[in-house]
Amino acid sequence: MSLFIAAALAASPYAPCAACHALEPGRNSPAGPTLHAIVGRPVAGLEGFNYSPALRRFARRHPRWTRTLLDRFLADPEALVPGTEMGFIGMSDPARRRALIDWLAVPRRRN
Amino acid sequence: MHALLFGLALLAATPAAAQPARELVNVRVYDVPAGSRPHDVAPGPDGLIWYTGQRRGVLGILDPETGAVREVPLGAGSAPHGVIRGPDGAAWITDGGLNAIVRVDPATDAVRVWRLPAEFPDSNLNTAAFDREGRIWFTGQTGVYGRLDPATGEMRVWRDPEGRGPYGIAATPAGDIYYVSLAGSHLARVDRATGAATIIEPPTPDQGARRVWADSRGNLWISEWNGGQLSRYTPSTGAWRSWRPEGERTRVYAVYVDDRDIVWLTEWGGNATLSFDPASERWTRYPGSAANANVRQILGRPGWVYLPESGLDRIMVVRTAP
Repeated sequence: MSLFIAAALAASPYAPCAACHALEPGRNSPAGPTLHAIVGRPVAGLEGFNYSPALRRFARRHPRWTRTLLDRFLADPEALVPGTEMGFIGMSDPARRRALIDWLAVPRRRN
Repeated sequence: MHALLFGLALLAATPAAAQPARELVNVRVYDVPAGSRPHDVAPGPDGLIWYTGQRRGVLGILDPETGAVREVPLGAGSAPHGVIRGPDGAAWITDGGLNAIVRVDPATDAVRVWRLPAEFPDSNLNTAAFDREGRIWFTGQTGVYGRLDPATGEMRVWRDPEGRGPYGIAATPAGDIYYVSLAGSHLARVDRATGAATIIEPPTPDQGARRVWADSRGNLWISEWNGGQLSRYTPSTGAWRSWRPEGERTRVYAVYVDDRDIVWLTEWGGNATLSFDPASERWTRYPGSAANANVRQILGRPGWVYLPESGLDRIMVVRTAP
């Protein structure tokens, strides 16, 4: 990754996610699945990532990551999905969540 | 706040024989303010327990004698992750929201903030440890680690050689600093003089190292989230050894070594904290106080182990000595 791209990502709404989540298709890590096309994507639906049982159960009732569902999840992950294994503990500012979801909704190729 | 006191039946088993035995220990569980999501804990002065109330932007102070909780606000935008007790007796906090190292004076509650340099915004600050020179070393999950000298205010920040992921950090009895990378699945030794990090690759690929702790002999114990196991690295020989807790889908989050060299770890798949005696290779299980306890860190003082249950807004305290 070039320093220019790194600097742009560090200043983007995605910065709090970058430690655990990549943006390229298929690029999962031990810390989290890729966020490529996350808006509208099936919940716990990527092959090759070991989702928590809690998120898999949640997916039966909430099959897709809508903008509304992402907003609720980002506000307090452990409240919406008790037992989630996501390390991020939440983003209380609605404006920051909206900015992040808007940013993630735009197709991006790499981080 | 109220505390629940109960004697808890625990299962202890040797992995080879898997013959359970039962024993009773005293466990206390304390509520903290709703929405705190207590992330890390540390022993404060006079038996008090510090915790980071990550979603409330506070340092919480729990009195285990009464169950009373007091909060010290850390400032607008605060989202504290780690807390440790410094050699000066103060609480030292890695605050991801403020992107700063924060000190809280235990006598006055005065809050002092050292922000990271502007070229390291939103570093997702994680955990800290002090070296023998009184400097605090810290990690940021976006791929950085750094050092603050409180005496001079000088802060240096470096990038992990392999990028994002630096998570837990620890000091050995000899004063060496090591950290682990969750996304990078490695251990790193830091040269305290130059700041250079030397990567030490574990034998298990993609193990997802969350946290690291040193025992009294300088061995490093590592919790492997993705690998679902506990590993030990011996710096003097370079040897690795691993142990896997029982369970179908083990996820090992936190690790801590107490004053008796008993290793403690949290295993999210089984919603439990486990202690492990390296001499006997015997495990003892401490279930979460309810489902989805999500204990993200462990710390304690002689005779006591503290377990922040972030998923339940509770702190569990285990008494390990009579």
